[in-house]
Amino acid sequence: MAPIRVLMAKPGLDGHDRGAKVVSRALRDAGMEVIYTGLRQSPEQIVLAAIQEDVDIIGLSCLSGAHNSLFPKVVDGLKAKGAGEIVVFGGGVIPEADIPGLLASGIAAVFTPGTSLEEIVSWVRKRVKNHHE
Amino acid sequence: MNNWQLQLAKAITKIENLDFQALADAARLPLDDSSVHIIGVTGPPGGGKSTLCNQLIQGLAVSHKVAALLVDPSSPFSGGAILGDRIRMQALVSNPNVYIRSLSNRGNAGGVASSLVSILRLLMSYGFDYIVIETVGAGQSEVKIASIADTTLVVSVPNLGDDIQAFKSGILEIADIFVINKGDLPGADSLYTSLRESAQSQRQGWTPPLCQTVATAGLGIPELLAEIHRHGQWLGKENRLVEKRKLAAKFEVLELSRMLLQKHLDTVPAEVLARNLNRKDINLLQKLDDVYGELLNIFSEV
Ligand SMILES: Nc1nc2c(ncn2[C@@H]2O[C@H](COP(=O)(O)OP(=O)(O)OP(=O)(O)O)[C@@H](O)[C@H]2O)c(=O)[nH]1
Ligand SMILES: [Mg+2]
Repeated sequence: MAPIRVLMAKPGLDGHDRGAKVVSRALRDAGMEVIYTGLRQSPEQIVLAAIQEDVDIIGLSCLSGAHNSLFPKVVDGLKAKGAGEIVVFGGGVIPEADIPGLLASGIAAVFTPGTSLEEIVSWVRKRVKNHHE
Repeated sequence: MNNWQLQLAKAITKIENLDFQALADAARLPLDDSSVHIIGVTGPPGGGKSTLCNQLIQGLAVSHKVAALLVDPSSPFSGGAILGDRIRMQALVSNPNVYIRSLSNRGNAGGVASSLVSILRLLMSYGFDYIVIETVGAGQSEVKIASIADTTLVVSVPNLGDDIQAFKSGILEIADIFVINKGDLPGADSLYTSLRESAQSQRQGWTPPLCQTVATAGLGIPELLAEIHRHGQWLGKENRLVEKRKLAAKFEVLELSRMLLQKHLDTVPAEVLARNLNRKDINLLQKLDDVYGELLNIFSEV
């Protein structure tokens, strides 16, 4: 019964991490180990931290509007470093219209502000479990 | 380039999860490599341990390979954890000389994880020169780090209520070096005075020095690094380090045994345990003692 390891990161320059913290706490309360890396991380830093921490999944939160360029960079960076099996999901203020593009670029799911914490938690659990099997 | 980090990270996960094969593999790796210096950092929650580790690692990594293990507590309710020490070390992630790993204590009291020594063996085999361990924010009983680290830094900060009371039992005794962090805050001088009076006594020929730092500004870090080196050199003499590592290996056996017992205990409901402890036909504690004794006969062969 190894706990699921999650990296929560905030790429981009906006300084609000309340959402990321709330999700981190919900995942912790569901028994997961959440590595919280703080604000203003570059995609490269996120990729390197995820590798060092051997996480199963990365949660990206972005409110600055730069998600279309930042999120896919994390996915590509992981692949380039041989860690492409790490699942990446995203959240934040993301227009509906951007979601199909993000999914196509390898982001496994995008949660917008209306999503309940239970939904996120159970999605993470299911996604990582499927992945381990 | 990050291939070794991928490999190392996965191996640590297996040890953390108490994979027996991984633990056995780790146990075959030497712990007595005297070219590696293990530095433990403990102190009160929010005392600046992570900020300080960031500075120390930055200094050490200029010319050495450094690994850091950052331990945070797990939630007693869910078993999950938020591991947040990395926030203070953002610049280090892309330093090719540095590997950083956050660990949950997985419910283990004492400020570290049970599998920590096994992880140290693994890190040693990867050729790190320094291994820095940040413990859970310590109250009074998080003293296990002293059994593991070569050099234990006890961080204190001004105005924790009554300074010395907060460091009552045990924690002062384990310091090889006292660090008074947040030297920029009022009260640092009086903390210095009271620590010098009550804590600076010689232990086995080493008098723990007091270092003042402002970790956020990098002040006092070169001096602290110098004291760490001085302690390392002192340990290198008269077999001190060899003896210390032997104790760490013993501690490893103790911790893992305790952990395994716990694992089995956790599968039995509390009231069933209590009932069986009362049994007239069998003395449970005697039985445990017998089994341990028998088992340790195997471990005692010379
Ligand atoms: N004024 C001042 N603040 C500091 C200093 N060092 C650290 N801090 C601040 O103290 C707070 C806690 O620092 P951390 O490094 O996270 O402390 P910690 O001991 O690792 O905390 P835990 O791991 O949660 O127990 C942060 O806001 C730091 O910026 C210092 O020398 N002076
Ligand atoms: Mg810390």
